[in-house]
Amino acid sequence: MAKTILIVDDSATMLMSVKSNLEMNGFKVETASDGVQALNKLKSGTKPDLIITDINMPNMGGLELIQNVRALPGFRFVPILTLTTESQAAKRDEGKKLGATGWLVKPIDGADLIKVIKQVVPGA
Amino acid sequence: MNPLLQQFLSEARDFLQGIGEKLMQLEKAPTDASLMTELFRYVHTLKGNSGLFEFPEMTRVLHAGEDLLDAVRNGRVRYSQELADRLLDAMDFVGMLCDEIEQNGAIGAVYANDSARLGESLRKLNVSAHHPVEDKANHSDNPVETTENLTSAPARPETAIPVEPPPAALADIPEALRMKAYAIAQAGTPLCWLVYTPDEQCFFQGQDPFFLARQTPEFLWGGIVSREDWPKLAEMDAYRCLLDFHLLTSAPHTTLDEHFRYVADQIKIQPLSPLSFIIPVGDTNGGPVYEDFVGDALEFLETGNFGGLERAALTMLELSSPDLWFSSALRWLLLVLEHDPDNRPVLSGIVESLRNLDQPEWLDLQSQWQDQTVLTPTIPAAVSIESTETALPSGIVSLSSIDDFVLSLLAIQRQILLLPITESWQLGRIKSVAATLQGCLKAIGEFDQLASLAFAAEQSLVQSAAVPLLSWLDEQFHMPGKMAVQPLGSQSIEPSKPAETVETQPAKTAVAHEISTTADIDGEIKFGRRAEDVTAVGAKSLKVDQAKIDRLMNLIGEMVVSKNALPYLAGRAEAVFGVRDLSREIKAQYAVINRIAEEMQDAIMQVRMMPVSFVFQRFPRLVRDTARKLGKDINLIMEGEDTEADKNIIESLGDPLIHIVRNSLDHGFELPEIRRAIGKPMVGTLIIRATQESDRVIIEIIDDGKGIDPEVIKRKAYEKGILDEMALERISDQEAVNLVFAPGFSTADVISDLSGRGVGMDVVKTAIEKVNGAISLVSEKGKGTKIQLSLPLSMAVTNVMIIESDGQLFGIPMDSVVETVRVPRADIRMIKHSLATVLRGRIVPLKPINTLLEISAPPLANDDDELAVLVVRLGEESVGLLVDDFRETVDIILKPMSGVLAQISAYAGSALLGDGSVLMVLNIKEMF
Amino acid sequence: MTIEFKKNQVFFKNEVGVEEAELLLEWLQKKTAPKADFSACTHLHAANLQVLMATTLTITAWPVDETLTVWLQSALGVS
Repeated sequence: MAKTILIVDDSATMLMSVKSNLEMNGFKVETASDGVQALNKLKSGTKPDLIITDINMPNMGGLELIQNVRALPGFRFVPILTLTTESQAAKRDEGKKLGATGWLVKPIDGADLIKVIKQVVPGA
Repeated sequence: MNPLLQQFLSEARDFLQGIGEKLMQLEKAPTDASLMTELFRYVHTLKGNSGLFEFPEMTRVLHAGEDLLDAVRNGRVRYSQELADRLLDAMDFVGMLCDEIEQNGAIGAVYANDSARLGESLRKLNVSAHHPVEDKANHSDNPVETTENLTSAPARPETAIPVEPPPAALADIPEALRMKAYAIAQAGTPLCWLVYTPDEQCFFQGQDPFFLARQTPEFLWGGIVSREDWPKLAEMDAYRCLLDFHLLTSAPHTTLDEHFRYVADQIKIQPLSPLSFIIPVGDTNGGPVYEDFVGDALEFLETGNFGGLERAALTMLELSSPDLWFSSALRWLLLVLEHDPDNRPVLSGIVESLRNLDQPEWLDLQSQWQDQTVLTPTIPAAVSIESTETALPSGIVSLSSIDDFVLSLLAIQRQILLLPITESWQLGRIKSVAATLQGCLKAIGEFDQLASLAFAAEQSLVQSAAVPLLSWLDEQFHMPGKMAVQPLGSQSIEPSKPAETVETQPAKTAVAHEISTTADIDGEIKFGRRAEDVTAVGAKSLKVDQAKIDRLMNLIGEMVVSKNALPYLAGRAEAVFGVRDLSREIKAQYAVINRIAEEMQDAIMQVRMMPVSFVFQRFPRLVRDTARKLGKDINLIMEGEDTEADKNIIESLGDPLIHIVRNSLDHGFELPEIRRAIGKPMVGTLIIRATQESDRVIIEIIDDGKGIDPEVIKRKAYEKGILDEMALERISDQEAVNLVFAPGFSTADVISDLSGRGVGMDVVKTAIEKVNGAISLVSEKGKGTKIQLSLPLSMAVTNVMIIESDGQLFGIPMDSVVETVRVPRADIRMIKHSLATVLRGRIVPLKPINTLLEISAPPLANDDDELAVLVVRLGEESVGLLVDDFRETVDIILKPMSGVLAQISAYAGSALLGDGSVLMVLNIKEMF
Repeated sequence: MTIEFKKNQVFFKNEVGVEEAELLLEWLQKKTAPKADFSACTHLHAANLQVLMATTLTITAWPVDETLTVWLQSALGVS
């Protein structure tokens, strides 16, 4: 069964790029443009096998989203990867403390992305 | 263009717009943290997006901008106007690159230098953060640590590995597997023992340590043990991870680091010597029986009789039970004989162990093994900084023994030292460089040089100059050629770098040429675009393709027209075919279709509605730049930015508004000193306000400048021959002020470079009237000026009157029609070669429409010999058009003329009629 | 369902997720001599694994996947 991945990023370009890459690799992709939208998706029945979230977003940023996701029933254990840039090492660690599984470094290489997903999502 | 790139460009323009706005807002509130956060986010995201493509010129500038803003955000650098200026310039450049990409699909090589300069100009402001690596490098106790990411895993500390005893758990590995591992290791593939101790809370980080362990690259063996005794099931917490994973793998260290990078703090990797695997296991019974064998075996070894040893061991093995410890040791002996026969200490070690069935002691041998491996350390797989290959002169320290990572670290230190030191606090750089160099020396084992480094560093600190440390570095490593790997340092200090490569290439475009020749790192960098042009390109991008909406518009236009055929059909059904019921049904259906069509039309029109902010958004930048150039201080207030109007109206508003605003800035506002002298606030206020009044959008541009002096206008108008002496005395002040709209009138004494585009207010007026708008101006000398534009909400539906002339139908927009009258031919006079008639006591000039359209036929009169006169408004005057006949008025959707027809100004456009014919709609104002 | 309980026996199928560990623990707490069948199992989350390791368990069938079998055998104390 195809795994579902929720991508959260305020940049439509980034969403489009990651989404097309994932879809080409057989994943089902849901998108949200900020933390609030992502939470609403989760609350309204989207059950992703992995969440990939940007850090800097309006309304609700990635770190806050992670905290909120972990507090949602049914999402205690879902793998979450943060989307960071090279200079955001501190944010990665903070994300991990708040419950993120790991991180991706922008710009994302397509093959790397799939490799990481296979590593954190059993059966992907 | 691929959709992703398209998306990128469209979004990039939004971000650039947003960045400009935030910078403007920050000028007013430089300490507003949330504005700063937003601004950073825009630049950050834009940079991230640009990284998806191969646009290094763009990414470099954005990266520098991001770093700078990050420093501002964290209080390391202060926000300043200069900073805003440079950022705005940088964003202009990025915007221009977007245009370039849009046109050519790529960024021309000519932009590389500008990109470097701009990046540098931003970095110069960011004195506190030179390079992320620098901060890391300060940890001198761990000099080979680097930023972790997918490609560059942390390098392990290679130095001074304490000799660790092999892990006891190795004995848990089945002997067959250990023997295989020994063979692999002996053949030269280093093996690792990895202990993975997941965090107790790791499940709540979405981790599955078992899954991660299972995927270990080059996995040979794995075991799972509990960290503590298992609690009773009734008290167990399934989600507190108590598992430890033991792994045997032949993967290189760096590969393992990468695989476990998310849990780097939870793994311990220990390199294993082949000897570690030699652990005989089994039943230790029956020891002394083998005394003889030990004696013989040692003798074989001493005499180098390996064949004899092997045969003896094989024989013993056949005689012994395989489960015995002794048999296990024999099997190892045979294995070592096979793979490493020359290693006598190991062989004799195993033999000796048979004496009392104790585990052979390998520690000494292992430390030898470790020393060997340390001499050929593994180089981190990916070092982000490349080093160039040059032949090296022999230095004090042999470079070949230093790995690339240390080299790149040294290069970076050198470049940090090259940065100018102007402030005393910058000496901190020297300290950190010294600390890093100290770490490097330790890492490469050059302990002897530590003293000379300390001396050089001290000299540098005392002299407040980098020179002593720099010369120590160059002398010590003797590799200036190899050092210059990254353009980190200030270019002014590295004159040897080729600065101008552009000059030799033919400039791609005029714009590009301008950039390459006028750009100057310390001066202003301009990109041949004015502030007000910044959004002009972005203005073309709707999120929905414009053509699609236009098509919808055309279709609904046809729909509206086609549906009008139904009443005709109903009439025919009744009149021609005599089916009254059918006629009624058609009419009922028509009512439904009519309603839907109208709603649809309304809905489509809504889609075309855009907020005036689309035009307003460029003003903060325009006003800021212009005011600064003029040395004026102006506070811009914009109101009603979300007022909406049809896209065409909004777009037509751009140029006229810019002109009005510039006029106001240039001629309206006084200089601050003058304002103070006459008791006005030093800061002028410019209000741009949009409101909606029924079906019109009203835009007001109000300044509190010096206003317009009617006397000056009158004098000018007289000088230019616009007014004669008579009129000069008669004219009211308001009428005089309105003369600024007269063609060929310009009030500026000196044509400035700002508003002196050769465009006067008359052009503004024409542009506004073209979209059925009106412009009015009120001004009070000394107090200020208010210009009001009134525009229709939508130009999509036009109410026109159809007239007939020479057998053709024409449409005249109803808003210019005053009345229709039939005038007896006898009442038409000839006054000064022109036709005229008197209507309600006023003389109305008459023009045959055929004449205006260059049709030779005379106007037709009706049976009573009356001529049809359509009185239209022409500015302040009324003019009668002689036509053949009047027809009905209709709502039409006006399609602007396209192609060559667009040049004919007499036509406003065309529309389709219910019977399918085309109606040409006249532009009355352009016909005279 | 990736985890199925039948009388005294639990069947693991495909990838057994982390959420199932709680169910598994509850079930095991009630059983005295539980048995496990891994024949259709391709992976099970570490949380499930540690719950099983804390239990005295009879394994009726190992996974088809040999390396998984080796892991499980080392973890569940059978060789």
